[in-house]
Amino acid sequence: MSQAQLGEAIGVTRQTVIAIEQGRYSPSLESAFRISRQFGVGLEDVFGWEGD
Amino acid sequence: MSFREKSAWGMAALLAAAGLYYLWILVAASQAMGATAPAAIAILFTLLVVVGSIAVQVVLAISSPKEASAPADERERLVTFRAGHWSGLLFVTWTVLALGFFLVRGDGNMLFHLILGGLIVSQTAEYALEIMLLRGRA
Repeated sequence: MSQAQLGEAIGVTRQTVIAIEQGRYSPSLESAFRISRQFGVGLEDVFGWEGD
Repeated sequence: MSFREKSAWGMAALLAAAGLYYLWILVAASQAMGATAPAAIAILFTLLVVVGSIAVQVVLAISSPKEASAPADERERLVTFRAGHWSGLLFVTWTVLALGFFLVRGDGNMLFHLILGGLIVSQTAEYALEIMLLRGRA
């Protein structure tokens, strides 16, 4: 799946998908769930947080 | 480059060029008159900006019709909000300083040009901020 296809599937631009991948933007919870469901995995399989 | 960023670049370039043109005709007219030029000189500038803005958006929409009709996504909305916030503060600050200048000098024509200049600067800054935020960390 390309970045553009993923973006279209969850309702964001390709540039936003790129920003998410590069850690320059944290998506909303809704978008995070949409991304996870696109890949058929859980939220924590896609996103992580290392904390302070 | 996203459609929003292309639009911001186009509008920033248009406003910067139009603003410099406005400054040029203001200085030239004021020097010729020996006093601050009247507000009417802004009419041509305003027409230029309106026509230019429409032209920029039409060209962008023709080149990317699907992107042009798509609503801003969550990141773009956040960028627009943040850029608008800071440009608004800039415009308010500029306006207060212009009003202070008017209190001292009492030149109504200069007040008009300063306020219009503030609009140009703050709007150009808003587009520049949008570009920076879209390219960097939103």
